[in-house]
Amino acid sequence: MTNRTTIQLEINGQTQALEVEPRVTLLDALRDHLQLTGTKKGCDQGQCGACTVHVDGERVLSCLTLAAQAEGRKITTVEGLSGPGGELHPVQAAFLEHDAFQCGYCTPGQIMSAVACIREGHAGSDDEIREYMSGNLCRCGAYPHIVEAIREAAKVMS
Amino acid sequence: MTIVETRSKRGDASDGALGGRLSRVDGPAKITGEATYGLEYHPEGMVYAVLVQSTIASGRVRSIDATAAEAAPGVLLVMTPENALPIKSATDWLETPPSEAPYEPLAREVTFSGQHVAAVIAGTFEQATAAAALLKITYDETKAITSLDDPEAGIGIPIDQMTVEWGDAEAALATAPVRIEGEYRTPREYNVPIEPHGLIAEWKGDTLTVWEPSQWIDGMARTYAEWFGLPFENVRLVSPYIGGGFGSKALPLEHSAVAINAARMLGRPVKLAVTRPQTFTAFGGRPATRQTIALGATREGKLLSIVHRSANETSMKDIFVEPLGSVTSLMYETPNLSSRQNVVRVNTVKPGALRAPGENPSAFGIECAIDELAYKVGIDPLEIRLLNYAEQDPHAKKPWSTRRLREAYAAGAEAFGWSKRHPQPRSMREGNQLIGYGVAAGTYPVRRTPGEALVRILSDGTVEVASSSIDMGQGTYTILAQTAAEAIGVPVDAVRVKLGDSALPRAPVAGGSQLANLMTGAVHKAALAARDELIGLAINDPNSPFRNLQANTLVVEGGQIASPRDAGSGIAIAEVMQRIGRDRIEALRDTLPENLRNEKDHFRNFTTITTMRSPTEGDYSLHSWCVHFVEVRVDEDFGTVRVARMVSALDSGRLYNPKLAESQWKGGIIMGIGQALLEEGTIDSRHGRVMNNNLGDYLVPTNSDIPDLKVISVGIPDTNASVLGGKAVGELAIVGVAPAIANAVFHATGKRIRDMPITLEKLI
Repeated sequence: MTNRTTIQLEINGQTQALEVEPRVTLLDALRDHLQLTGTKKGCDQGQCGACTVHVDGERVLSCLTLAAQAEGRKITTVEGLSGPGGELHPVQAAFLEHDAFQCGYCTPGQIMSAVACIREGHAGSDDEIREYMSGNLCRCGAYPHIVEAIREAAKVMS
Repeated sequence: MTIVETRSKRGDASDGALGGRLSRVDGPAKITGEATYGLEYHPEGMVYAVLVQSTIASGRVRSIDATAAEAAPGVLLVMTPENALPIKSATDWLETPPSEAPYEPLAREVTFSGQHVAAVIAGTFEQATAAAALLKITYDETKAITSLDDPEAGIGIPIDQMTVEWGDAEAALATAPVRIEGEYRTPREYNVPIEPHGLIAEWKGDTLTVWEPSQWIDGMARTYAEWFGLPFENVRLVSPYIGGGFGSKALPLEHSAVAINAARMLGRPVKLAVTRPQTFTAFGGRPATRQTIALGATREGKLLSIVHRSANETSMKDIFVEPLGSVTSLMYETPNLSSRQNVVRVNTVKPGALRAPGENPSAFGIECAIDELAYKVGIDPLEIRLLNYAEQDPHAKKPWSTRRLREAYAAGAEAFGWSKRHPQPRSMREGNQLIGYGVAAGTYPVRRTPGEALVRILSDGTVEVASSSIDMGQGTYTILAQTAAEAIGVPVDAVRVKLGDSALPRAPVAGGSQLANLMTGAVHKAALAARDELIGLAINDPNSPFRNLQANTLVVEGGQIASPRDAGSGIAIAEVMQRIGRDRIEALRDTLPENLRNEKDHFRNFTTITTMRSPTEGDYSLHSWCVHFVEVRVDEDFGTVRVARMVSALDSGRLYNPKLAESQWKGGIIMGIGQALLEEGTIDSRHGRVMNNNLGDYLVPTNSDIPDLKVISVGIPDTNASVLGGKAVGELAIVGVAPAIANAVFHATGKRIRDMPITLEKLI
């Protein structure tokens, strides 16, 4: 399988053309072809959540999404979350303040999930946050601080 | 010149000084995606390697038919032992001289399922992955020993160095008025950092650059140099961010040799990312363990004897010892003790270090056993711990440097509400939920290796700290910035810390919870030296604005230099540097003792562990301590266990940054909850395969498994333990969590589960 196709991806508000094999995942397209390495590969089989990005505003696992499937849709990665002047998104700011990460590797996925979790209306209580953030594994064990950060960010965003 | 100034601390988040709750300085890079991890570099012309692993656990590779794979699109090389360029054996971390035989990272003889036997390198990751599936491998299979319980495994090999004995433990046990005995078991457990292992290797002539997550830059670089016959200086290992390691990224592994060799053979940079399933056999986690503990005691619960027999599994070719008697012989006072350990060969990958190797399973045994004794004699589990409190190190017979365990018991019990516990098992419930309270203690030694650091004051008044030590989330960047800021007298945001590059000054392994203590010590020393030089120049340089003061010292604070008599009228460091015409003041300092301060020992100090001092070398026994109080809720019908809340009180000495230390403690506690309730490598007894080699089947805690955790610091600065008074943090907090949960489950249900994890089928 060497046939390549050219696809157009709208990532963080910018349309980019890339030539990839049809079997290339959105995750590998971002990391290997576009050098957007903020999105992380933890398992490559949809089990850890480190690769979470937004497609048309909803959180998806980019390792289980082919790059071609994302054509014509709006993709947001952690690199596109900050404001135009580089100001942190309220979720990013809360993660820093509450020390909601250690090694930082699951963090972009946690943050993308957290933004969606709040937007979905699933940050109503600590238990609800825990439940709707359970698709994102953190082996350093930052969970209690992730819950605190989302609780605080949800207040700022409402 | 020695200048000692006491600086005021505000103790809040704005406080950049050591001990302040500063947010991580590497945080902004990590939350915006700017932090570049080892596998995220893109050298020109990079190609991709994919490993192929054995499907048998024991035997020989008879043949590898690579015809189809080699013909597949984009394939550049199918590497097998037959065509790989030779690699030399290397000195190991204990400085064992290398074997004369070559080192073969791809196996001809298979000793475990999932052993690397070939690699496919292609132009893209997808091409390499597809071609790897086309290899046709045949084997001559022999019978494998798949677990510690395999009838063929035997009782193993005695490890005499692990024997600890005093008094006559067997005799004292035989005559003790009260005796209990139990067998405690832990399964194979895995580190599972969310960033999988892997590397990018690039050769330029006879220099090698490797981008790779590493807990020990200099140790791994030394191995790479020896493998490929290079001078140490020709290897550059770059690892600015590490996506978790927990012990698994400290030593060189086979896959790294494969990638570096492939890059050498192809003359192109090669990226090799171990896939998540492959990580379960590309390196070992904690080996399966079993311990038999017999306690003899008075009717009041005072210990008379401890007899401890234990074993851990190891691989067919190597000996890995998980020191199972480490806490058994340390935690309690007893007049008689005997602890012995075997290792048992099975067809597994060589086990490795996983958060608190030794202390963790050791504490599971003794902390459950002491709880069982408490019920047997009818006293409170907390009371029995105080009754048998070791006032000095019972093994080394030396005083503790600090042991704030009594304070931890008191603070933890108070915050938890231990006094509300009803002593009888199955006596507390809410609806169909049985409620149990459990307690257990933990400990981790203070390990000490000398360090080294470069501190540079620049002409703009900012400060640089440089070291090849690493930050995998422990907070190294942050606490070293705080250390330098405080020692020199500049705001913390004026300090830039560079880590994770073998081109920088040397550092020993980030393991054994030693790095924070040794690196703050080295940075403190170098920073004071740079500051002394700055003050000396400010006093003596003919162009200095302070030249006419005739002062014998000056004050540096907030980035300003001032006369001690007129501290309010400071001049910025940048201006003084400009006036005296210096673009930098630099101090490289190490904390090696005089007898090691030569080139050979300096190299040995940072590339082996032979200079690491034991916790009992010197006048004191040096350890961190902790206690965990747990409430569990067990569904009476279904046997499901939930940790409802936990309070832990910990003595890690002085905390350099409590905000980050608390995060590490909680991380250890959470990993301990996973160990107690979820984590277990399940092995197919026919084929020796790890059946749950993925994150959907090897369960680690999720957010919804974790309740509110309260952590309390009861430590005080311990300058016998380290220069600036800290003790171990990172590995401490997991120790004691699993027995506290097991003890709580017993209190809830009346069922004593002695093998982890505590899953529902063991309770119904």
